[in-house]
Amino acid sequence: MKIRQLVWLRRTLQALFLIFFLFLVIESRLPQDVYIDYTMAFSADQDLRLDQPVTFFFQLDPLVGVSSLLSGYRLVKGFLWGAGILILTILLGRVFCGFICPFGTIHHAIGNLNPALKGKRMIEANCKSASQKVKYFVLILLLVGAAFGLNAAGLMDPIALLFRSIALAVLPALGAGLRSIFEAMAASDIKILNLASYGAEVLVSPIFGYSQPAYQTAWLIGLIFLVILFLNRIRPRFWCRTLCPLGALLGIFSRMSILNLEKYAEKCTSCNLCIKHCQGAASPRPDQEWETAECLMCFNCFDVCPEDALAFRFAWRPQRNHKPDIGKRAMLGGLAAGISLPLFARLDGRIEKVSDPRLIRPPGSLPEKDFLEICQRCGLCMKICPTNVINPTLAEAGIAGFWTPRLIMTQGYCEYTCTLCGSVCPTGAIRETTAQEKIERPIRIGSAYLDRGRCLPWSGNAPCIVCQEVCPTSPKAIYLKEDTVMTSGAQSLNVQLPFVDLKRCVGCGICENKCPVRGLPAIRTIAAGESRSLSNQILL
Amino acid sequence: MSFDKPVTRRESIKKLLKLWASLGAAGGALSLTLQTPLLAASASENKKFIIEGVGHTEGYSIKTLTRMVFESAGGAGRFVSRGDVVVIKPNLSWARRPEMAATTNPEVLEAVIELCQEAGAKKVRIADHTIHDATRCFALSGAAAIAKKTGADLVHPRASLMKKMSLKGNRLGIWPVFVPLVEADALINLPVAKHHSLSTLTIGMKNWIGGVGGSRYSLHQDINQSIVDLANFFKPTVTLIDAIRIMTKNGPSGGSTAYVTEKNTLILSDDPVAGDASAALLFNSQPQNLGFIRMAREQGLGTFDFQTLARQKVVL
Repeated sequence: MKIRQLVWLRRTLQALFLIFFLFLVIESRLPQDVYIDYTMAFSADQDLRLDQPVTFFFQLDPLVGVSSLLSGYRLVKGFLWGAGILILTILLGRVFCGFICPFGTIHHAIGNLNPALKGKRMIEANCKSASQKVKYFVLILLLVGAAFGLNAAGLMDPIALLFRSIALAVLPALGAGLRSIFEAMAASDIKILNLASYGAEVLVSPIFGYSQPAYQTAWLIGLIFLVILFLNRIRPRFWCRTLCPLGALLGIFSRMSILNLEKYAEKCTSCNLCIKHCQGAASPRPDQEWETAECLMCFNCFDVCPEDALAFRFAWRPQRNHKPDIGKRAMLGGLAAGISLPLFARLDGRIEKVSDPRLIRPPGSLPEKDFLEICQRCGLCMKICPTNVINPTLAEAGIAGFWTPRLIMTQGYCEYTCTLCGSVCPTGAIRETTAQEKIERPIRIGSAYLDRGRCLPWSGNAPCIVCQEVCPTSPKAIYLKEDTVMTSGAQSLNVQLPFVDLKRCVGCGICENKCPVRGLPAIRTIAAGESRSLSNQILL
Repeated sequence: MSFDKPVTRRESIKKLLKLWASLGAAGGALSLTLQTPLLAASASENKKFIIEGVGHTEGYSIKTLTRMVFESAGGAGRFVSRGDVVVIKPNLSWARRPEMAATTNPEVLEAVIELCQEAGAKKVRIADHTIHDATRCFALSGAAAIAKKTGADLVHPRASLMKKMSLKGNRLGIWPVFVPLVEADALINLPVAKHHSLSTLTIGMKNWIGGVGGSRYSLHQDINQSIVDLANFFKPTVTLIDAIRIMTKNGPSGGSTAYVTEKNTLILSDDPVAGDASAALLFNSQPQNLGFIRMAREQGLGTFDFQTLARQKVVL
């Protein structure tokens, strides 16, 4: 294959995979035109599902599979794709980083479109530095931590990080910006702008949704994303070289790669062009020893060398490439942190002793310990939820559960027959269920309780039955008793007083969501009674 | 189009022209349909009408029954003129399967859309501000499938379609209104009749709660007057009440076929009070015992003295 073609093949694949990734992020929602054809099966329970394979990149990501296996002893759905990437890496090196990874592509593009450094400074920045060992420290920390029961891989995993950032921060922020433009257009006196604002809304709502989604702490997710992108100004592909745990994992697996960079020192004129264009700081110059584990297989050096002093060749004989430069400090530091952090994370006693009553997990979530072992904090369940109830946690699940999903009922509610979140969870931390199972078992996510001081009929303020009206169970978990209460003027008022039947309540939170008492609703939902826990129960 | 701003001269001329055109069209429709007995009676005496359609035969077609009911009123052309934008307001509040009777029967919806299209409607829209997530309500109730099949537009409720308007009610003042309903040339109310824990029943007039946004869950604090105020504001061209299957318990959300009774009945009326009253009888409720029906009559929205109406029964 000609040299130029190889670089263009890489660019094409990078673009295609990035577009596919973004497409899947956007498609991670219930399509507006979804429907069930009732002419065929009029009385069967059917579940709404997505057509697109939105978890594809998570299956492709071996770090998701390895960390879930180490911490939860579970093989995630589609783990063979990840295994395939590992085998590919054993054969060809870090081609995932160079050709496939959408996050890598974004860094690559940013660095290429507007290089931060010029000439000699760029050459210096692309020389291998000790900071590249940090990613091994991160990887060892995450994997050892996972083995000790704290699976925080998703916080640093490039696919989970990118999905979370785009789905929860970038897209909603763009949507908010566009919306404010359309609002200004709709409010203007110019007729054409008025009309255009309606059309524009129709065009953008399939991507951004009809209403603005809200995600707590999304600003922080967005800020971290921007900082990581900004790091490319310091050094090209800073994230990939220095921080990415998946890159480190693939680097270790590239040790035996049969695709090698062959160097012809006699041809080299030390022009340093290869170093200037090296994406991984992998020492491509013929007088240096090539760092297989650092090489992102971008083929730039091969492409730019004017003297043909470099060539990628298959070496069929068994041989060992240059060892990944992990370093003792990264190894020991990773081990120490990987062992101690899971232990520290248990100190708050969240799993055994004191769970936060506001920590309501999505329906079908595994018991808390198992859940934390495999949840990737990717935000897919949050993106897909049609009522926008699922949000990233901050402290509610303890430090071990940072950015894991929880339901905020003032923002949305869990729809009774909806099982979308479980159908897309990449690792199965939220089990896939059916509407029938959810209703008939039933799967409880918590329970409701009344605040009689705030409740309109109980406090003698007004008649109201909204919580009972919207209660989806049958028979309803909220029942009414007719009674007479005293108003402020000491007049009697006929009302129906609501009561919660805990045996029927599934904790869906629609009562809290629709309660007309705003601010702090008069009926609220807590996690107690959730069917995934044996101990967090109220009734015998 | 904005509703909270004064009408400009250009707009008023446009509106006059439109009115002129629709008067002509209405005249045409009138002359075409004069042959039918009921319409002749009701239109010439300026009487309101009520038609009850009942499917008696086993395995009857709901769509045929819907057509027969409209035909006996003089055809859909009486309500829909050529070139009209027709908006149908079904009750799709809950993401429930059709046989739970929590939402308007999709076959009735389909028949009404087809009738409007045959009458020459430029566009038929289905619009409802649902309680559950609208996408799921449309998908599960069968409305989305019908929209796809018939080519009708499904209007997704959203903040940009809620405009503050004065309802000029006894209890309700400025309130966000679902714009497509007030922009329609012809507005067809297509509720399902079912049990409700506060107002006892939810039929046609209460269906307009799905026509407003804002803090509409506070309407329950004075539900009967709120229903009457809304029914006074939204003036449907005609109301077709779906009582094919009625929910008699655990309303308005239902959730089990055990609460569903087959009544195989459709009620078409241009008197919102009479329609609701007639449907109430199917639940063995006396209209005067239902607060919103009684108050609506007192406040002049219509009558449930059926003798004063042109009345007809269609049996299939």
